[in-house]
Formats: sequence, C-alpha cells, structure tokens
Amino acid sequence: MSSTATRPDTSYLLRKLHSFTGILPVGAFLAEHFWSNSAALVSAEKYNTVSQELQTIPFRLIVEWAAIFLPMLFHGGYGIYIWLRGKSNVSAYPWVGNWLYVTQRYTGLIAFAYIGWHLYTERWLTHGRSTYANVAADMRNPWYLTFFVVGVLASSFHLGAGIWNFLCKWGLAATVKAQQAAGRLGALVGVAFSVVGILIIISFRYDWHPFSVYLPSK
Amino acid sequence: MAETKQVIVKVKRQAGPKEAARWEEFSLKWRPSMNVIICLRDIAENPVTRDGKKTTPVTYDSNCLEEICGSCAMLINGKARMACSALVDQLEQPIRIEPMSKFPLVRDLAVDRQFMFESLKRVKAWIPIDGTYNLGEGPRVSPEVQEKGYPLSNCITCGNCLEVCPQVNEHNQFVGAAIISQVRLFNMHPTGAMNKSERIAAIIGPGGIQECANAQNCVHACPKGIPLTESIAEVNRDAWKQALLSWLVG
Amino acid sequence: MRQPKIIVVGGGLAGLMATIRVAEAGIPVDLFSIVPVKRSHSVCAQGGINAAKNQKGEGDTVDKHFDDTIYGGDFLANQPLVKRMCEAAPGIIDLLDRMGVMFNRTPEGLLDYRRFGGTLYHRTAFAGATTGQQLLYALDEQVRRHEAEGKVKKFEGATFLSAVIDGGGVCRGICAMDLRTMEVKTFTADAVIFATGGNGAIFGRSTNSVVCTGSAQAALFQQGVDYANGEFIQVHPTAIPGEDKLRLMSESARGEGGRVWVPRNPAEKRPPKSIPEAERFYFLEEWYPKYGNLVPRDIATRAIHRIVYQEKLGIDGQPAVYLDVTHIPRETLDRKLEGILEIYEKFLGVDPRVEPMKVFPAMHYTMGGIWVNGEDQASNVPGIYAAGECEYQYHGANRLGANSLVSCIFGGGIAGRAAVKYAKNLENSAESTPAAVFDGERKRQEEKNHKLINQDGSENPITIWRELGQVMTEHVTVTRINKDLEMTDGKIRALQERYKKINLSDRTKWSNQTLNFARELENMLVLARVITLGALARNESRGAHYKPDYPDRDDANWLKTTRAKWVNNDIQLTYEPVDISLIKPRPRRYDAAK
Repeated sequence: MSSTATRPDTSYLLRKLHSFTGILPVGAFLAEHFWSNSAALVSAEKYNTVSQELQTIPFRLIVEWAAIFLPMLFHGGYGIYIWLRGKSNVSAYPWVGNWLYVTQRYTGLIAFAYIGWHLYTERWLTHGRSTYANVAADMRNPWYLTFFVVGVLASSFHLGAGIWNFLCKWGLAATVKAQQAAGRLGALVGVAFSVVGILIIISFRYDWHPFSVYLPSK
Repeated sequence: MAETKQVIVKVKRQAGPKEAARWEEFSLKWRPSMNVIICLRDIAENPVTRDGKKTTPVTYDSNCLEEICGSCAMLINGKARMACSALVDQLEQPIRIEPMSKFPLVRDLAVDRQFMFESLKRVKAWIPIDGTYNLGEGPRVSPEVQEKGYPLSNCITCGNCLEVCPQVNEHNQFVGAAIISQVRLFNMHPTGAMNKSERIAAIIGPGGIQECANAQNCVHACPKGIPLTESIAEVNRDAWKQALLSWLVG
Repeated sequence: MRQPKIIVVGGGLAGLMATIRVAEAGIPVDLFSIVPVKRSHSVCAQGGINAAKNQKGEGDTVDKHFDDTIYGGDFLANQPLVKRMCEAAPGIIDLLDRMGVMFNRTPEGLLDYRRFGGTLYHRTAFAGATTGQQLLYALDEQVRRHEAEGKVKKFEGATFLSAVIDGGGVCRGICAMDLRTMEVKTFTADAVIFATGGNGAIFGRSTNSVVCTGSAQAALFQQGVDYANGEFIQVHPTAIPGEDKLRLMSESARGEGGRVWVPRNPAEKRPPKSIPEAERFYFLEEWYPKYGNLVPRDIATRAIHRIVYQEKLGIDGQPAVYLDVTHIPRETLDRKLEGILEIYEKFLGVDPRVEPMKVFPAMHYTMGGIWVNGEDQASNVPGIYAAGECEYQYHGANRLGANSLVSCIFGGGIAGRAAVKYAKNLENSAESTPAAVFDGERKRQEEKNHKLINQDGSENPITIWRELGQVMTEHVTVTRINKDLEMTDGKIRALQERYKKINLSDRTKWSNQTLNFARELENMLVLARVITLGALARNESRGAHYKPDYPDRDDANWLKTTRAKWVNNDIQLTYEPVDISLIKPRPRRYDAAK
C-alpha cells in the first residue's frame, strides 16, 4: 500500500455501511414496524387505520425500496458474506462475546429469511394492502405462527446484539465499562423487542386487545 | 519412595508444511511445577513414544520461558496459550499440544508468525525520529498517557489474539487485535500522533480494522492482559472520522 | 563509489542499536538473529537503565555514576570507555524517550527515576517492571522502519556458525545456517558486529533465555578472537528454581520481612508448614545476626550455596532453600508484593502466601566476553566488532544494577559507527575476497553438520548439557575452590570426549533443532573451559569471583584482565593491565561509606 493513501479500502466502507444500515434504517424501521403493529394491541380497527396510513404514504414504492428493502437486502446479503469470511470457534473458546458472535450470525440469517417470507406473505400476496384479518388468518396456521415467533425473537436478538456491536465498532463505547453499559443497553433493547413482538403475535392469534381499554366506551 | 505419577502428553507432529500430520503420545515422569516446555524437553532427551516407538524430538519455538518474549504460543488442550506458563497440574490429561492453526506451519509446533511483523510495518508502528544523534529530551508525557500506553506496549506479538479470532482465517488478511492496539499506542504518543493519519489510513486498508466482528476473544486470550477491545474501539472511532473526512473532502 | 556492507549478528539491544547506526550512515545491513529480534533476551531485563540525569536534585553527576560503576566492578573495568558510557547515558535516555519508550513519569510529565542497588542516587529510569522489553521494542521499531525503507535486511531464524576469515586474518563475512532449511550459506561483509548476548546456557539453568548459549562467542574464540574475563559471572541470589529456567525473584521479598531457612534435618520429608520452628535453620539470621535476611546480595548468595553444597541441607536434597513470607499478613503481602508473588504462583502453581517459596541463586549475567579494544568495540580480528553482553568491556568484575541496558545501547552505537568507518576505509573490500575463502568455510561447516547427522553414537546431547550445567553451577558460580575447579575442567574435557560420540535423535534436514543444539553444545563446552580455567587461575576474590581460600582482592597480582587465546587448538590464558588512569583502586565495601 502506498504510504500516502488516505482513502479507506472499499471493504472498509462496505463494512461500515453494513454496520450502519443495521441501525439506520433497518433497526429504525424494525422499531417503527413494531410500534405500528402494536396498534393491534388496541384493536383491529386501530391496526387497520395505522396500516392504511402507512400503505398510503406518498412515493410509497420509492420509500419502501430506498429506505427498507434495499438497505435490508444489503445488510442481509453483506452480512452473509461476512459470515462466510469468518470461522466460528465457539466450541474451543466458549466466551460470552464469542457466543454472541455466533448467535448474531444465525439470528441474522433467520431474521433475513423470516423478513423475506414475511414480506412475501404480508406485503406481496396482499399487494401491499394487508389488513388485520390477513395477518390474523396467517397466525391460525401453526407453522406460520411458529415462524412468526422465531422470526420476531431472532430479529429482536439481532437488533439488541447489533446495537452493542455498533457502539463498540464505532468506538462510541470504548472502555470496558462503557462496553458493558452498551451490552446492557443492547440486552434491554433485545428483551423489550422480544416482549412487544410476542405480545403482538398473541394479539393477532387470540384477538387479544389489552389496550382496548383506552378506546372511548361505546 | 519416589513418585511414579505419569504425565500423558499427546503432540501433533508434522514433519513439514506439506507433510501429513499425526499424533504421538508420550508418557513422562511427573515432577512438581512441571510445565509444557519441560514436557517437550523431556521428550527431546528421550524421544520415545508411549508405545515404545522411537521418534524425533519435537520442534517448537521458545526463548525467555517467562512469558515475555512471545515465542512459545501453541494450542494446549485446544486453547491458544504460552507453553512456559502452562502448568501440567492445571491441565486435563492427556495434554493435547498442537501448533497454532492461523499461521503457516514450519514443523511440529513451530509456526511462522512473520505476518504479524509485516503488519507492524504496514501500520508504521514506530515513532519516526529524525536520527539517533543527540536532539535533547523527548516530549513530555503525562503520567495518565503513560499509564494507558505502557500496557499496550507490553504486547509480545505472540499471536494468541489472532489465533482465537474467528475473523482471522485463510479467507482474509485481517491484521488482528495486536496490530490495531499498536496503532493506538503510537497514535497516543505526542510525537507518534504526528503520523496518526498514516497509521489510520493503513488500518482501514485491506485486512484492516473493518474485519473485526467484535467477538472479543482477543482480550480473553491475551497473556499480557492488554485491553485489546478498548484499543480496537478507540482506533475505530478515529478511523471512521478519518474515513468520513476523506470521503467528504477527498 | 563502492558501497560497503555490514553484518550484525544478534538482534538484542546492542545488535539493534548497531544496526540503526549503520543504517543511518546509509550502509546496507544484514541482521542475523536466531529468533525474531523482538523475542531477544533483552526483553527479560526488568529493573531499569542508569543515567546521571540528576533529576531529583540530589547532586548526581556523570562522575558519580562512573565511580559507582568502576567501584561496583571492583576496579577490573578499563576506565576511559566506562567513563564515556556514563557521559553518554543521559543522551541515551533522551534518545529512548524520543523513540517513544513508555517510561514512568513524574506528575510534571518528566521521566521518573528510582534508586537501585549499588548507588545512593535516583538514577534509574524505568518502564514499569519490564524496562528491557520496552527498550528492545523501541529499537526493534526503529529497525523495522529502516527495514521497511530497504536499508536493513533481516535474517531471522538463522544461526551464526563461523566467521569467514581470509588468509590475511581479516574477517570477510560470516557463515550461517538457516534453521528451517538447515542450509549453510556464507554472507559477505566488510565488517561484522557481534551482539550475541550472554552464555547462561553453559550453566544449564539460569535467568537467561534459551538462545543465550555463548555459542557464537565460542565459535569466534576458536577462530582466533580473544575472550576476556570469562571467569566473571554474576549470580542473582534469589531466583525461582524451575526445571526449565530460573526466574528472578525480586529482593523486595526479603525487604518486606521474608525469612530464609532450610529444615535442619536433610532427610526432612514433611511439608514446610508442619516443620516446627525449632527444626528450622534460619541460617542467614544465625550466621549474620546483625543484618539477618537482609545481608547484601553476594553474602546471601554465598550463604545459600554453602547450605546446599557444603552443608548438604538443600530442601529434599535439591538446590533450593525456603524464602518464607507466610508469616506476613496477607493484606501486607497483597499490597506490597503482589506482582512478584503472582509470578511465583503463575510459574510454580503454588501460592507463596500459604506455602514458603523455594529459591536458589541463579547465574544471571556474563561480565566477561569477546575481547574488544578500549576505543571502539573492535576485537583483535580486523573486521570483527562486539557489543553488549557478549563482550567484556563495561562491568569489570561485577555489574552494577541497571547498567546492562545502557552498556548494550552505548556499545552497540559505538560498534555501529566504528564498523562503518572501518568498512568505508577498507582498502580491499570483502567483495574482492576470493570465492574459495567462502567456499572453504562453508564446506567446513557443512562437513560438521554432515558428520553430526550421520554418526552413530551412544551419547545424548541434552544429557551432556545437563551434566555440564550441574558441574558448572556447583563449582564455577558463587564459591570457587581450586581443587573443584580442576575437577570441573577434567569433567568438561570428559564431556568433550563423550561429545564426540553423540547420537542425534533427529537426522532430518528440515527445522532440525537437535542438530543446531548439538552444534551449540560443542561451543558451550569450549567456553565452559575458558570460564573454568580463568577462575582456576585467578587466585583472589574480586567482585563476583569469590574464592574462600583467597578471600581478598589482590591488586598487586591480579589487577589485570584475563585474555584467553586459542592457540594450537587449546586455551591459553594471557593477562594484560587494566586501564586505571582515572580512578585509583580502593577497597570495595558496602558495609561502610566508600
């Protein structure tokens, strides 16, 4: 390498982009998605209103591709490439960080597959007009249900661990203490998303709407 | 009466880089405070396997035998560590001894860690002094910086951090935690900081810091207790700032 | 203009400093080292590096450093060059500081200095407890920089076999063996600088590293390079005995109240803690009631030796005594001695807070070495220079603590410059040397290898080496008695005979460490004799050389440098006067003002 080179290697940019897209927009979208889906916890109507609101945003297709599908494809695709370049050794070195390293790869793959299927069933087959009834119907299928649960947990874990990784890999949490704090934050996010995600699934599966109490009494 | 306790040692033998590997088992006389180096020396003095076959002494690297030269790193019961501080009494038997797997094999337990020294060159891990003639004192360094820098400069280039890193393998040229930590050390020094951007440029080149995937095995495996993950994070912070800047202003 | 070429053999502090100096002069350097230079034995130096910077306002001066060095060396060092070293020392510290050594600092950001043995001043700069490692790394980094710029070519994993000396007695290069391919090759150079360290391996186990065999010095000696003051070997009183290595145990353990003892009964089999007080022999306290366990280094060393070898009271019949800190409150131990107790625990797997430590004096430093002139590190063979522990110049009969690092860097620097000057002014460059000179040397070395690989015999080199170490440690370290030294020389000669019948258990031609070790052993045996014969002849006690039959320093007869020569395939001792032009010798006593 030339001593005057200051431009980073392409692999550096791609890795940073991979790390960054995991948080923005992918992580942020996940948060938004959980948030809007939690409308189901209020009522089917509320859910339908919220999703219709999202389904009718201007420039929808562009926004979807630019802010969601393409970043996700890149994050997932490049993630698999990274996975293939690594060689897990957790059986020889069963340390927590190493477990996270391995789990992050498997949960990433599961999440990627799940999201693809989820998009296919809830976005593609419904022509982008999925309703509460569509989702609730899918949840009646035990296989679908299982995949929902696994997918939600994997995505939540992946996001939580991803936040920890992000904070470490961008040097935002540098000291041992800061990295421990970052780890706790990641764990908190992972658990919170898992809980909310499962609650949403229960809501669809059992028509359970605990927050309907917020609705004005009829 | 004299102790008759035995130590059973299995050594992975390979006569050369292109030869086939095989395991040999040895039965050695136990003595107090025995370490893996002593086992290898016992074998050298009497190279006969447990089942009575004559063999050759085991080739391995060692020098200081007090864990400061970095020579005798190897896999002991599957874990990368220094042979001189690996006490037999603290190891499960049979003790399995193998060469490190991430470096080209020379023979038996000896591997070639030249990659690390080449990497040190790549990242310019030095202070570019004008010359050795008398130019007066160096810059003042606060005790705080010294206390941070000293542990980093304890790195013995043993390669354990590379050995345990899942990202170091034949698919990429990742320089590994030790080298990144050296970048931090030299960037921390008042004179070294003058060439900070060159070192950062090198560490965001091919096989650079981007290959780190935060498994954090390095920090556990380091025999010198160097805060490697902290070093990686610190260098990462400087790296993306510099990369962003170079991208913005060219 | 013709471009000269220089070879440096050895990549410790001295070798690296020499390399840097030559590279700075714009002359290409080939640097040979058995191990990657960053793994050289210099990393083991713990304490620090001396320089009279007077940074604590104590009135320390270069002259005082000079006096301490000469006095500590019991007036056996040639004084002018030692003085130059002491004068250069502050500049060397500055240089290391500029190279980025993480020296300990004062709150003001200046270098901190500590007090060390043999002086009253805070004169020792230090970087934690690993000063040698830190200094070596600094020089290693500079050499790597020169290497990246193409000025230095490293041959790591190559061992020096012999010098190539032409018909006129001038060194024209070296013959070296690649330790992987086992290929023997010659390399041309106008000057060769040797910085091959100490010779601890001759004593079997020592505080030295594995590569410190003295083999290079011995090979040169047999080619006509004189060897001086071989009999001066420094012993450290308390090392942790290990079968592979003796690891230093700081004297602070005694400083904090540690007690040295052995069981009174040599056949004692009980664990130390269950031996009642009455059956313990606190020999230092009994023999030296005034100082007790805090007697000076050499006294402690001799007392422990006497207990083991004369009184035969070593623990379990082994060369070891107890250094007991178990009576000291754990809280005190953890506060004051944690670091050193951890080392013990790490390498022995025993908690010294619970069980008394076993310690024994250990061969630590080689004061003697290749004879060099008092001017520019040149040996008696033109083109051969030596620096660092492998030469004899700076420490006289005993090395002052924290002087080794400075002497290595100073000597290496001078040697580098001198070699450049010599190479530039050489009338007939090494390039003009007939190829037959190189071929001849290579063949001679190849034949040795061939013979070793192919011969059938009954002796194991490691066994011979162990026996050599035992006899050397017992009779040629701390206490020297003439009849034992004679016996030792006989034993070494017997080992040399047995060596002729060695059988290599590895006859392969790839990375054969057995072959290399066998070659080193042959040289070690020669150097062992140089040391032993030097000690036998020197009928006095001076510095580290102690003969109970001649307990005093004898300036009238022995204020002279031993200069061993290789004549007719045998060792011949000659003597030359010591340059005492600057400080008049006076008795050396540490129990009173000097």
